[in-house]
Parts: sequence; C-alpha cells; structure tokens
Amino acid sequence: MVKECNKMPVIALELPRLQKLVGITNRKKIVEMLPFLGLDIESQENDVVRVEYSPNRPDFSTDFGITLSLLGILGKKKGIPKLKIKKVSDYQITVDSSVSKVRPFVTGIVARYGKIDEKVLQQVIIMQEDLHFGIGRRRKKSSIGIHDLDTISFPFTYTTTSRNHKFIPLHSSEENSISEILQNTEVGQEYGHILGNSTKVPIIIDSMGKTVSFPPIINSSMTTVTTKTKNLFVEVTGTDKNGVEDMLAVVATILQSAGFELCTVKISGAKNSTPQFKKRQIILSQNLVNTMLGLSLSPRKIVSALKKSRLDATTKNKNIICTVPRYRFDIFGPMDLVEEVVLGYGIENLESTSSPSQTLGQKNHDNNILNDLSQTMVGLGYMEALNSSLTGKRILYDLTNRDSSNIIYVKNSKSQEHTILRDSILPELVNNLSNNIHELYPQKLFEIGTVFLKGNPIKEEFHLACVSAHNYANFSEIKSILQSTLKTGFNIECKTKTSSYPTFAEGSTAEIVVNGKSYGFIGKIDSSVKENFKIRVPIVGFEVKLSGLIFD
Amino acid sequence: MSKVFHEIEKKIILLLDENPKLTPKKIGTSTGLTPDQIRRGIEWLKFKKLVIVEESQQVYLRLGKNGLGANSKGLPERQLMDLLKEKPRKLNELKQELKSIFSPAMGIARKNNWIETDGENISLKNPPSDILEEKIISKIGKNKILVSEIEDKKTLEFLKKRPNFIIEEIEKSQIISLSEKGKSISETVKISEDVVVKAIDVEADVPKTFVAKTHPLKDIINEIREIFVTLGFTEILGKLAQPCFWNFDALFTPQDHPARELQDTFYLDGVNSKKIATPKQIQQVAKVHKNSWRYLWSINKARQMVLRTHTTCDTIKFLADHKPDEARVFSLGRVFRNEKVSYKHLVEFNQVEGIVVGKNTTLRDLMGIQREFFHRMGLNKIKFWPTYFPYTEPSLQSMVYNERLDKWVELFGMGIFRPEVTKPLGITKPVLAWGGGIERIAMLKYGLDDVREFYSNNLKWLRSVTKCQ
Repeated sequence: MVKECNKMPVIALELPRLQKLVGITNRKKIVEMLPFLGLDIESQENDVVRVEYSPNRPDFSTDFGITLSLLGILGKKKGIPKLKIKKVSDYQITVDSSVSKVRPFVTGIVARYGKIDEKVLQQVIIMQEDLHFGIGRRRKKSSIGIHDLDTISFPFTYTTTSRNHKFIPLHSSEENSISEILQNTEVGQEYGHILGNSTKVPIIIDSMGKTVSFPPIINSSMTTVTTKTKNLFVEVTGTDKNGVEDMLAVVATILQSAGFELCTVKISGAKNSTPQFKKRQIILSQNLVNTMLGLSLSPRKIVSALKKSRLDATTKNKNIICTVPRYRFDIFGPMDLVEEVVLGYGIENLESTSSPSQTLGQKNHDNNILNDLSQTMVGLGYMEALNSSLTGKRILYDLTNRDSSNIIYVKNSKSQEHTILRDSILPELVNNLSNNIHELYPQKLFEIGTVFLKGNPIKEEFHLACVSAHNYANFSEIKSILQSTLKTGFNIECKTKTSSYPTFAEGSTAEIVVNGKSYGFIGKIDSSVKENFKIRVPIVGFEVKLSGLIFD
Repeated sequence: MSKVFHEIEKKIILLLDENPKLTPKKIGTSTGLTPDQIRRGIEWLKFKKLVIVEESQQVYLRLGKNGLGANSKGLPERQLMDLLKEKPRKLNELKQELKSIFSPAMGIARKNNWIETDGENISLKNPPSDILEEKIISKIGKNKILVSEIEDKKTLEFLKKRPNFIIEEIEKSQIISLSEKGKSISETVKISEDVVVKAIDVEADVPKTFVAKTHPLKDIINEIREIFVTLGFTEILGKLAQPCFWNFDALFTPQDHPARELQDTFYLDGVNSKKIATPKQIQQVAKVHKNSWRYLWSINKARQMVLRTHTTCDTIKFLADHKPDEARVFSLGRVFRNEKVSYKHLVEFNQVEGIVVGKNTTLRDLMGIQREFFHRMGLNKIKFWPTYFPYTEPSLQSMVYNERLDKWVELFGMGIFRPEVTKPLGITKPVLAWGGGIERIAMLKYGLDDVREFYSNNLKWLRSVTKCQ
C-alpha cells in the first residue's frame, strides 16, 4: 500500500481566508482538523498550509470546497450543501448533431452576482486545472471553459467548424485559425491530439456568431474573466454525458459556496439535455457499518456521522437511506459510505482492538533458502551488497565488455541510470568496487537477486554473484569460494571448465559446470574492465544461476 | 601506562641508557635485532613517549673520478712540479706528458706562483712542501667520510669547486635517544628483565578487522518477515514484472487513470503478456470497469507488462486464485516507480503488504495488528488518519512519531478492499489489507536522511553499521 506520490494534487491554503470561511478564529484547531478529511499536510509556513488531497475529491481543489467539509466534521453545518439553482429561460445552448463524432456532450451553468478578487480568481484557475487533469483525464474525457457572462449574448450553439475558422484566442490580440492555434500555442500542442484527424472541430458560438470557446483547447479572448467580472458562464464539454455533468456539479457547488447565485442553462439537441444535478440514494445497512468497523453504532448514530460528512440520511428500520449529492461521484456504493461514517464518527475516536490470529504464519521456502545462502557467503567473509535491478547500459554492458543484443528497456525512464533491466549482477558489483577505491582492501562483496531475461513474455531468475578485490586476489581463491559455497550450501559439486567471457581475462576464465550443465562464469576481471572502472587491484569473481540449480 | 615491555623494547631501552644517541643501524649492530624489529620497537616506544626520535641529515664525502686519480698519482699541479724538479722543461714536452691534466696543472701552479715561464721554458719558482688539498684527498681516500671529519673547510670548498674531485652525499637518518620518561623507566626495565620476558603490549592499538555482514536493509526486511509470520501471516512471492491486469485493472484503476501513465509506471518496451488471467476473471474485471468508470475497457492495455508498482498485485492474484474464507498472507519485495531519484525517492524500493480475510475481522482489528507490528519494530507513538487508495474503502494511513526528526512520519497504509475489486474475482469475504514501504522504516531505524545510502554499497557505511540492534 504505497501511494502514487506524484499523482497527489496539492493545494496551498491561506489560513486567514480559511478562518474567515469556516468562521473559526482558532487557527491551530483548523490545521489539526485537516488530516481528518484525508488532507496530508505537506508543509506549513506562516499563513500558508500546503496539503495533498485525494484525486477522487476534486471538490477539495479549492478552499471553498474544503470549507464545506470542515464545517461538517466540526459539526457547524451538517447534511448536503444544497444547490439553489434559479430556473430562468435567458440562457440556452442548442447542440448541432455534427458534434457527436468529435465531442458529443455539452453542459453549463450561469453564476451571477459574485465577487471575484485575485484570490478567488486564483482558486478558480487551480480548480479548473485539477479538474482537467484528474476526472477530465487531461481534458480528454471532459473540460471546462469559464467565461465573463456580460461579454456574450445567448442563445449559443455548440457545433463544429472547419480548421480554417478564425477567432482571437485567450491571451492573444490577433485572430488565429484553428490550425494555427493547434500548431502555435502550448495548449494546442498539448491537447490537440484529443481531436484526432477530424476535419471538423467543436466550437461554441454565441447569438452574434462570435466564438465563445474552442473546446477542449482554448477560450476566446473576448470572454476573459478578470477581477472586474461579476457574472460567469461555465461550460463543460466531453465524451460522456455523466462525465460532463459530474464536473459541472463540482464547479457549481464551489461557485455557490464562493457566493454566486446559480441559474440554469437550457440545453437541447443531439442527445443533450439540461443538467438536473440529481441526487442518488444508497441504502446502507447498520450491520455492514458495524461489522466492517468493529463498532456497534445505532442507526441514528450512523445518520449523524453521515450528516457530518455532508451527506443526507434517514433511518429505516436497521437500514439507513443515504442521499448523495451530485458532486460526490467518488461514492460508488455502501462501502464508500462506510468510509464517510468513519470520517463523520472521527478516526480519533476509533480505538484499535487486538484479536489473536486464527492462522499460523509461515515464511516462504525459497526466500529461506536465499537467506541461508546469504549467511553462507557472510561466513566466507563476503559483505552483502544490494543494487537496483533497473540499471544502465553503461555499467551493464559498455564498461564490462558484455554483449548487449538482448536488452530489456523500460519506457521513458526519468533517470538515466535506470533504463534497462539487469540480466547480470556482476557488473553492478564491479561498479560498487569502483565506488569504494578509497576504502581499505581486501574488499569482498556478494549479491543475491533477480535478473531478467527475454522469455515468454519475460523470465525472472535468481543469481548469486560475488567479487573479491585485493592485491593477492587470484583464480584459485575465488574457485575455492565458489566450490565451498555450493558444497556447504547445497551439497553440490561443481567443476570449472576453460572458457571465455568478455568481462573476464582471457586465460583466466571458466564456465561453472554442475552435472555437465553450465550455470555461469568464474574468472579474473579483465584489465580493460578494471581500467574502465579505474580500479587498480586485481579482482576475481563469479556469477552463478540459482534458478534451475537449487530450485525451479 | 603499561609497565610491560616487549623484549625488543627492553633491548633498545637498555642500550640507549648506556649510549644516549644512536642511529637505528648502530642499535642493530649492538643488539643483533633485525632492521624490522628495530623499526617496530622504535614505533612502539615513540608511541609510549619513551624515546625521542630526531630526524637528522648527514653529509658524507667521497672522491670523484679526478679525486681518485689525484689520490693515486698526485694532484695535477703536484705531477707538474715533480716533472720540473730536475730541470726546466719545454712547454710542448710537458703538454705531451701530462695530456689532459696539463691545463689545470699549469693554471693552478701559475696562479700560486709555484712556477715561472720564460718563453718556451717552464721552471719551478717557489714550490710548496705541502699542498693543503692533498691532505683532504688522502684523508678521504677510497672511503666515505662525514663532512664533520674535515676541519679545513676553506680548502674543502676550493676542492669542491674543482670538477669531479669531491662528491657530496646526503643521508637522512634517525637519532634515537631516551626521553626523560624513558630515562626514569630504564631502571624498572633493568629490574623487570627477568620477570616478564615474552609479554606484549596488550594496550596498544591494533589494525581494524572488518566483519562481513548481511546488508542492513536485508536485516530490517528479515525482521519484518519474522514479525509478519509471528502475527500469523504466510509469505507469498510474486514476479517483479506483471501484466497491467494484475497491477492495475484487477485493482479497479481505470485504464485512462493518470496513475497508469508512462510518467509514473515503468512499462517494458514492446513486452506484452499473452496469458494474463482466466477468461472469467478478465470478463468480470472488464465489466466492472465499464459499469463503474464508463469507458471502453481494452484487453490490449491489460496485457502490457509493467514493473509492479506495488506488491498488491501478488495479494490480489492470490485471493483470486484461492478464494480463501480465512487467510493471512503477506508479500514482500521490490516495487518500482518512475520517479526522479532523490534523497527521499528511489525508482526501486521494497514494500510489504499483508492481507487478512476472515469473517469477523474489522477495521479496528487491522489497526490493532498494525499497532502490534510497529510496537515490535520499536515504534510506539502511532495514530491513524484517513487517506485514499483506489482499491480500498475505507482507507487509513498510520502516522508514527519520530523523535530525532521531531515530527509525525507517514508509514503504512491500510484499508478494506473495495467490492469493485473483490466481487469480480469471486472473493466473497471482506479483505483487509495493510502495508507500505520498508526503506522509510529502515531510515528511521538507522538514522539515515538519504534513502539512496541503502543501495550505494558504500563500504565505509556498511562496515560501520551496528549489527546487533
């Protein structure tokens, strides 16, 4: 259970703002509560707390959203934060059927009479980016455009246009064609692929024929939101009707808590319809909650906990009927509600219990054997090394003169030293010696680990490799170590048969043979290899395949 | 200070007591010790501050080629004057007889007014009885003598200026003498002479012996295995390279999820698995993805091979294949993340994950198991916070307080497998999972701030780590 650390989005919370929003002056209390919403505090500096939040909670991408949940667990406001949407007929979007092949769905909402200062604008931009990345799947599934309502005139048409269509895109002062935008702007280059090769691209046009937005790439410059903006129009487009409405629900909830008044946008045509922000009901049994958590909560207690998690709930016999608002699409079923109960109940109130195990434990046999082999090597005076099995071509092949015709690459590694899977351990050990040339000799190292070979689809084998470096290191010494290891460890007699291997010196190289079968190589490291690694003392070593020799 | 002396030390002290200043060579001739024994003896005594070692420099003189010639035949000017003893001679005759020494001989004799020239004829004028240089040359002879043995420094300087007469050799040597402490101890040494003969200085420093060890991280790994086993868990092993199906799809991670992207996961270039699971397993997993995430699930994406990003793929496969009603198993091994390597991130690290399947196992029991685990690892201040994993619900993380860092450190994660994970694979009982990265615990244990140290195989560190902790 290791998190996807670089996948966790981060938000910087300004404490004075949060104190005002939550209505609590005790700053310490707010900071202490944050982790109980699943927010990991990354750092705190003066007024700013940086927290990581779960990618399944896009409502946590703004402090408005976090406030809603904080109010809940603090007990200040319970139940669903209700969306109040004014039904007006001023705002309409008609959808042309031509979009069905490129980006079939659109939805939207109008948010009026709000106050947009620098901070609010910043929160909105961060929210938009996080929604694009996470639930929008990098804008592929769904994307948002937020516009200044007062610069455009309804009704709109969501339709398609040719790549020659021209308008002034955001952050520009000149007209550009769609093709130019896709070629020349950063967003165009990054997201243009979503549109594929289609000659027609989606576009939102207002009643005057002016371009409002070119989803999922860029808005028109005309509708730019500034700190002077009072009224907003938000559109979401995408490939899936549920997906676009999910995203809109998050935006609507946040804009309402930011103080805007919401109004409906009527949508029609080509399987599109006006968003309903429908709530869902999920039945949760008291028994499930208590058997999972190990508690004996009454249905009423469960309802109370759910309400603190900003959900609505009522009891019905031993069941709880829970109502989930549209923006909580992270909730799939009853088990998700069990978590909401835990959060509302308070993890700090959940005491651990200890019950004896009903099962008897056992270590893995192969692992035990490998551990015994380690002990044998230590007994022979060898220090255990550990190297990464993802390594680089330079050490594994170039510096050790090895044949690199069967490399297994990983794609797009962020680290130059870790681009291929090792098929041998010995090169790493020689590299370890090279990094220790200033330490006292003799230096004797061994490693037992997995190596990878091309197979069906890939073969993983256990190998043992060891090296000995000092002024008097010689073939007899290492051969004796090899034979003692196999004899003491496994009662295996092995022979060494004259051979050649590129890492070892000609004339001091042998194959390791057991019952007529070859299991590896032993020898004196060639002087050219030593030179490559800048090592002066003689080195001897071997690598033996354990898979097939001591176990399957 | 030790009152025990080695035989060698004793011999040297007693000799120096009688002869205050000696070179190591002279100590050798007087005591019969070998040069190596003397060297060691002097080192020991010096370390105990019983002798003073003065590094000195001696200048020796010996004759060069011309000097040796002058020693056997006389100085050139002496040879010239010998030829003139009988009668004046002609210049040409002298040239023929004296050959190469003619010029220097004439020059010196003329300068000192020992001869006079009359046209072609040369005759003696005021010949000296002794030439000072002759004394020095005969004193040195074929030997090598100390420069201090020559008193007439002025003449020596003249002679040194003449080519190839005198060769100077500088030799560095030690002069050993007893310190005040050494003098005061010499009486004790004399008395103890017959008491302890073969004793050595057991208090002296000795060279280090380096112990071969299993790797410190392996020790922690084995400690953790041990604890899991004593808590009733059985170990299972899995492959490091896995099809996406077990690493992601079976764990309810949608195929278009950012976590599956290239930048976090090591995909093996051009490697796909033909047989990933049973047809039923594939069909059911595909169905839950379509229904819950609403997208087109692709089997080809599930076939792509990745380096496992967690050991959870081993536990889920075990559950899917065995469907136990009651079980505690764990998987421990390397996992991979495509990250920039730094003091806190590695591309490859170890992870342990245990699962509990049982009728009456609760989240609180899982918290209890974890408390017990940390307690046995010597970590006692623990609390739990909610967190998020795509495949568990509810999900918690354990925070452990570290005194050295003076903060709470996030260690393990835990949770109950989502029904979207268990149901499609035919697992009907609740499955509770817990585990996390091992290096982080090992860092706390060894007081390291840079996780890379575990894989640098730096002998200085490996040799210095306390083994029995």
